[in-house]
Amino acid sequence: MHIGSISSRLGALAVIGFLMASQGQAGHHDWQDDLSPIGAEDWNYDRAAHLIERAGFGATPAEIEALAAMTPDEIVRWLVNYESVPNGNLPAFEHSGIFEPGLDPFPPSRPATTALGRANGEALGVRVKPAGNRRLQPVVNKFFYWLRASMLETRRVAYWWGGRMLATERPLEEKMTLFWHGHFATIESKVRDYRKMLLQNETLRQKATGNFGELLLAVAQDPAMLAFLDAGVNVAGAPNENFAREVMEIFSMGVGNYSETDIREAARAFTGWYFDNLTFVVNAHQHDTGAKTFLGQSGNFDGAEVVRIILEQPVTAEYISARLYRFFVREDLSPALNARLAAILRDADYELKPLLRAIFLSRDFYSATSVGSHIKSPVELVISSYRKLGLHTLPGIPDFNESTGVLGQALFWPPTVAGWAGGRSWVTPGLLLERGNFARRVLFPDIDFVPHDIYASDGLIREVHRRTVTGADITTATMPPVADAGGMMAESNMMADRSEDFNTRFGSYRGWQMAIERVKPIPRAAAVLDLARMVREAGLTTTTEVVNHMLMRLLRVPLGATERNMLVSFLDQELGTSDIVRAESYLEDGLRMLVHLIMSQPEYQLG
Amino acid sequence: MKKTNPGVGIDRRTLLGAGFTCAGLGLFGGPLGRAALAAAGDTSNRILVVLELSGGNDGLNTVVPYADDAYYRLRPSVAIPEDKVRKIDSHFGFNPGLSGFERLYKNGKMAIVHGCGYANPSFSHFTSMAYWHTAAPNSGNEHGWMGRLADTMRPGGASNFIVNIDATQSFAVQSRDHVPVVFDDPDKFARQGFNSETPIFQHVAEAPDDHNASRRYLLDIARGALDASALVREACDKYETPVDYGLVPVDMNKIAALIAADMPTRLYYTAFRNNAFDTHVHQGNLHRRLLTYAADAVHGFIADMERIGRADDVVVLMFSEFGRRVPENTSLGTDHGAAGTMFLAGKPVKGGHYGAVPSLTALDEGDNLDFTTDFRRVYASVIDGWLGVDAAAVLGEEFATFDMIV
Repeated sequence: MHIGSISSRLGALAVIGFLMASQGQAGHHDWQDDLSPIGAEDWNYDRAAHLIERAGFGATPAEIEALAAMTPDEIVRWLVNYESVPNGNLPAFEHSGIFEPGLDPFPPSRPATTALGRANGEALGVRVKPAGNRRLQPVVNKFFYWLRASMLETRRVAYWWGGRMLATERPLEEKMTLFWHGHFATIESKVRDYRKMLLQNETLRQKATGNFGELLLAVAQDPAMLAFLDAGVNVAGAPNENFAREVMEIFSMGVGNYSETDIREAARAFTGWYFDNLTFVVNAHQHDTGAKTFLGQSGNFDGAEVVRIILEQPVTAEYISARLYRFFVREDLSPALNARLAAILRDADYELKPLLRAIFLSRDFYSATSVGSHIKSPVELVISSYRKLGLHTLPGIPDFNESTGVLGQALFWPPTVAGWAGGRSWVTPGLLLERGNFARRVLFPDIDFVPHDIYASDGLIREVHRRTVTGADITTATMPPVADAGGMMAESNMMADRSEDFNTRFGSYRGWQMAIERVKPIPRAAAVLDLARMVREAGLTTTTEVVNHMLMRLLRVPLGATERNMLVSFLDQELGTSDIVRAESYLEDGLRMLVHLIMSQPEYQLG
Repeated sequence: MKKTNPGVGIDRRTLLGAGFTCAGLGLFGGPLGRAALAAAGDTSNRILVVLELSGGNDGLNTVVPYADDAYYRLRPSVAIPEDKVRKIDSHFGFNPGLSGFERLYKNGKMAIVHGCGYANPSFSHFTSMAYWHTAAPNSGNEHGWMGRLADTMRPGGASNFIVNIDATQSFAVQSRDHVPVVFDDPDKFARQGFNSETPIFQHVAEAPDDHNASRRYLLDIARGALDASALVREACDKYETPVDYGLVPVDMNKIAALIAADMPTRLYYTAFRNNAFDTHVHQGNLHRRLLTYAADAVHGFIADMERIGRADDVVVLMFSEFGRRVPENTSLGTDHGAAGTMFLAGKPVKGGHYGAVPSLTALDEGDNLDFTTDFRRVYASVIDGWLGVDAAAVLGEEFATFDMIV
């Protein structure tokens, strides 16, 4: 961020501020539900740290000090009106070049693809062989190629996006894009086209803090969303309700504010909406032009008018403002406060910036119930960890997608259209352990790291590979490994190569190979950290100062005195002294273990 | 892996399950076998496993009413042809993928409950699933029905009483007093670190009694993680079985491992994930395959329970958040519907049909099956009839139960 250039060495003041926070001064007790703006006289290090953690992805102590030196108005203007902040050093996504004509629209399944091949003599841009065994095999190979390649390329898009979150000068832009991705959750494994996922990501970013109505319409016309919610089969005479239901239930109004009839009528209005590659199209002959009655209004509505009517519902502003509030502030939201937030959004004709400004400036945002109560999502955890440790590029080891995925938030693969449940559901006993394990992998890289974009973790595929390269015919190579007792393998060895249209398992293997060849690899550099330098630059001389510094750098909720003393004793023991100058030449490993312990604390999960 | 020996005295599990300490053993005045306990109506060894089929399983193509012409009339493309059905009587047969269920049914170990649902059905996955998770249709509850069941069975909570195998915790096991053990991959369910860090990992702070409820929650979780992770990992690492659970074991093998390791868990919850049964488009092969995975896993699990001598102690309940619409859609699939089919499997289950079969000709105005069985009757039947707990205390009202468990 631009404030990073204001060089500011961490002084004793900030440490004192943080230690005072442990006495309960971080959040104000009387400010709950108070939307009046926080005064410049109440502005301090902890509140600046709280703001940048929530509205962005955290910051280093030096950056937070620079924010603390500004006024709340100045910072919120910088955060929210980010269009004027230069961000030109972020690279555009670099396509591998995996797409070919014929792959869009992609058939819904392998059986649908081979049926198409049989009927037309061609599918996915590949012609069926005129004679011989497995005439459809090239079609099937191509099918699996695209499944695999699109998946791998989407992981590259996620890695690219994570890199943006880490390096951006406009933290709120990426934070809001993440919010909308969870709100308009779309899943690659159904869309099966990284281009559409990337386009949607760019649309969400472009409209992230603009007008909600424009955003909702853009999403309703977004090719990834249209593919995801079965727009292709929503046609006049046979409406498919999937999109119509979710647009109200999840995207705008919330459940219980419309009837099943409203859903059916809205589905009719959206009939014929489809995509051609990356362009929204209306197939006029599939659009139902009859009269519809939707939420009490009647007319020959199309999808745009359904969106307009949805925006006229008071509940829509309530629902959207509540979603935003819960994402940025806290889970508990009183109906009275929700009504006031909704009024801000509605009075601004659904422009999002006034609401965001009001939230970030409000005393409520800095109240005791808000501060330090947010359980970080896996993406927030990973990115803010890297930011706080001073990294500027996203490490390839550990793998970004695997780290966030194991913790329950793989970008572009939300669990369902409802997005991530968030809050307490982010943490279970197992996932709490795994969050600490993520920290260990960053601080002490695994020497047995395997990039799964190339190395198949699927044992079946590896077995097909092993048999194929040792000269087995396709039938033998693709027989399932012996699961039952004895006889089956012997029998399969005696079988001749079958005569068939295609072999699915071989297609999956060959498609995998083709994808590896085409999809560019994710760079595999481990995180490069220098914790000893941080300690030197902060001028710390004792293990107690080091522990206090690392706690302040990493935590928004202070540890108790017992736990802090345990960490000091630990560091004393690891370094063989409490004198940092004496230990200067071998500090790093002890510091990394200390940071691992801090990042494994339950308090580290809170932002 | 320990093999238990039915009828040879009280074992550790009985003690843990009943909450007795070693000091209390004398009260029994001598060995008391499991058979004797069972005869006396003892329920302290009994385990309930719930398997959720998420996405809205198509009940009609699961238990096929092949003798009903209306079924073929309303589903000209997606109906299972009579010659493909695995017939179990003159009216019904299983989907061809369900050889596992067919075997269970023919051995008298599977109950099929027809027409399960609730009034004013929601066709939303999330809403309807929440209704099933809370057992509060068109209403709500801050805790899940399994969580409340645990709170009633063991007020105040106990370690490892509920296990939920999934990447994230199901709302069904959300409890007032219990922190469910939630894990997906047992190998990942372990703290990694250096030996010298261990004392700090073993220490969990006392939560200050302040405004920060999130912090208190996380500290509770940290305490639960300490002991549960060691137990689960050890159980799963040690477990070996010759039983075939099919291609996708749906975590039933992990549950078997924990049961074999004498975990004190009484309630297990797992799900066939990711809305898999949401078969809007081209459902035929896909649905059949999903059913095969589920049925093979359940069949394997029950065979495995026989093998380790726990078959008398375990009942598996299966459900989905709704069935699917009776007429097929134009995409060779089916859309969200209303009433569906529930299943109970296990040696103690009295096999057969339960619940009135809904009519395929008197559909509701949305072309859906009208429910004939409030799904909470099935919950009540296992709560009361299997676990010996007052179902009304858990569900908030009385429901007529089925006599479906021995």
